[in-house]
Amino acid sequence: MALNYMRALQKVAKSRLATCSAVTSSRGYATGALPEAVEPAVWRNPAAVLHGVNDLRFEDVPMPDRLQDEYVRIEMKAVGICGSDVHYWKKGRIADFVVTGPMVIGHESAGTVVELGPNVTNLKVGDRVAVEPGVPCWHNKASREGRYNLCPDIRFFATPPHHGSLAQYIDHPAAFCFPLAPNLTHEEGAMAEPLSVGVHACRRAGVSPGKNVAIIGAGPIGLITLLAAKAYGADTIAVTDVKEDNLSLADTLGANVALLQQPHATTAQVAEALRTALPPFGPDIIIDCAGFESTMQTAVQACVPGGKVVLVGMGQNEMKLPMASASCKEVDLLGSFRYANTYALCLKLMESRKVDVMPLITHRFGFSSDEVTVAFDTASRASETGAIKVMFNMN
Amino acid sequence: MQRLGRAFRTASRYSTAAPAESTAWHNPAAVLHRANDLRFEHHDLPEEIPRGYVRVGIRALGICASDLHYLHQGRIGKAIVDRPMVIGHETAGQVVALGPEVTGLEVGNRVALEPQVPCWHNIYPRAGRYNLDPGMKYFATPPVHGALARFVDHPAYQSFKLPDNLSFEEGAMVEPLSNGMQACRRGEVKPGKSIAILGAGPMGLNALACARAHGASRIVITDIRDDNLPLAERLGAWKALHTPMMSPAEAAQQLTSLLPPYGPDTVIDCVGHESTTQTAIEAVAPGGIVVQVGMGKDRANFPVLDVVFKELDFRGCFRYTNTYPICLELVSEGKIDVSSMITHRFGFSAEEIAAGFRCAADRLTATGISSGCLWKLSLINSNKALKSRASTLL
Repeated sequence: MALNYMRALQKVAKSRLATCSAVTSSRGYATGALPEAVEPAVWRNPAAVLHGVNDLRFEDVPMPDRLQDEYVRIEMKAVGICGSDVHYWKKGRIADFVVTGPMVIGHESAGTVVELGPNVTNLKVGDRVAVEPGVPCWHNKASREGRYNLCPDIRFFATPPHHGSLAQYIDHPAAFCFPLAPNLTHEEGAMAEPLSVGVHACRRAGVSPGKNVAIIGAGPIGLITLLAAKAYGADTIAVTDVKEDNLSLADTLGANVALLQQPHATTAQVAEALRTALPPFGPDIIIDCAGFESTMQTAVQACVPGGKVVLVGMGQNEMKLPMASASCKEVDLLGSFRYANTYALCLKLMESRKVDVMPLITHRFGFSSDEVTVAFDTASRASETGAIKVMFNMN
Repeated sequence: MQRLGRAFRTASRYSTAAPAESTAWHNPAAVLHRANDLRFEHHDLPEEIPRGYVRVGIRALGICASDLHYLHQGRIGKAIVDRPMVIGHETAGQVVALGPEVTGLEVGNRVALEPQVPCWHNIYPRAGRYNLDPGMKYFATPPVHGALARFVDHPAYQSFKLPDNLSFEEGAMVEPLSNGMQACRRGEVKPGKSIAILGAGPMGLNALACARAHGASRIVITDIRDDNLPLAERLGAWKALHTPMMSPAEAAQQLTSLLPPYGPDTVIDCVGHESTTQTAIEAVAPGGIVVQVGMGKDRANFPVLDVVFKELDFRGCFRYTNTYPICLELVSEGKIDVSSMITHRFGFSAEEIAAGFRCAADRLTATGISSGCLWKLSLINSNKALKSRASTLL
């Protein structure tokens, strides 16, 4: 394994991505059911396809001949890797979502429109777009009330059994493709996805001027939530982590306080440190971007009475928490899941430079079999590689 | 003019059998060609029922002031009847056929139809406020056809099953009731708040019923006529006040003295006359909410300083969102009695439709205000032989 990896790394270092010409396939393309992997003479639509645990293959995924009503075909240009992509690769599942068949991975993406389906009015060929990866069914209660992130039948890229977007081409509803302003790169378009997670957390929490905010976890989500919290006008923001790697970046990105937790500190001690870091009373809002029992215990203890704890991170499912304490302090515990109606705002935030996501992109790769291997490996060993956002640049 | 009354109602009330077979989709309808030109004629149905749609045999339909307005003026604001349009939007019926990919409904299901079909790609529907969708398709708002027809095709997801103990009439009444529900949500009606409702016409009465359902108990309703005030009391008003010839200041004074110390927390204006808007703003307590439901003149004189000094929320209220399930439940549980608001009934024929609209119009003229009419229903009995030739009704 180590030898193969080294060989792949060498190839990547030496070569550039070979261009693949795409020819529209005559075969159908059913979700979750890919044709048998063959080595065609001409690749129609190279994609990174997850077959099972540790089994990520670079193979052809033919596209349908005709586009569906109100869909567009997009040539992908930038796709980021998320922790969930890595998790599916390493574990084959997240909670009840299990990879049972080949699935194209990846969901943070942007590209250029190459073809319009019937009745598309909001886009034209050549438009550069950020792609919102979750398409809800509009008929259930959550969607009708504007919380379509909670749609039980939502089709979300790279959540089994739905294919993701780490491919040369995808088809997607035009209504979920957002044009990029001239001063935005495709990479920034792809970053609208994780930024949306941060924005949604800030909305759930009610981040606004006058509120002190603590963010637990300085990984990619914690850092992007920091950027969102600043955009939402938070008074003072403290970011905390057990590792110092990303805390200096948090500092650069505008955290007022970057708190390194001591190795054997208790949750009570960390809570006290957060309260001291955010005078006069401590954090009004705590956004837990790690999601462990210890971090949630810290959050409940640190939070000002009447405040809010928003859980974004997905570390552990079951936790022991000081609920009597939360209750007596009237602290609200709020879940935050993905996002809804955030893309337009995120693009505006980046376009106006209120948010600069570029420092979060630490590693870049082209799109080939070897580079996919190296990229995912890089992302999965973030503590060694220092990876925050690994980005594919394609076509 | 033939009033069919209770006997007819009882006979058809709880039928769950599918309507009798007739010639393939022969579809007589009340079609408005232009102002004062309403015709009873065939209206084409699509060859194939669209994907996700059901075909519904209409069994009950209520007339609304907006239907009358289109009939007499041929327009409401910028919505102009410039081509033939089926009228009517408050309706319930029975599913007679399913389009492709319909789940959750079967032929024979009794359903209330929510008369609006938003475009879910637009910003407002995505944010949960689909009533504000500029791309909305609403029954009998031109150019979209309404439902006073034998059959209507409608999305399955906007066709809500009637509980077993609800009649088709009650199902149709869920539409105006939904307006009352939306008004109460916009007005944040809840236990402990005092509420004033201006206007005891259909809109006011529905708002009243919904305010009770929202837990409010101190509800005062006012009207310049006293006809509907006894009904208002039966529907749960704490006080039903006759306020003829009162200036806004006088009316506001009455409301404040009835709801001390500072007046009503929420005022719902279901009239929309300049004087009632003024009354609402003058009467409402500081920090309170005025909900404007009634539609009057486009431009009105407005005590703006009151809005500033009292930090009022002056909130428009337009149609409704996500109200059908809760309204059906409230009626089914007996918490709201919509049947009491039904005053006249007509059948489905050229003559009876004409009579129904005339009756509604008479009531309108009598009140002299644009939103006062008693309820009328057209009952469509599919067993009746229906004339197919076009005939001008008015």
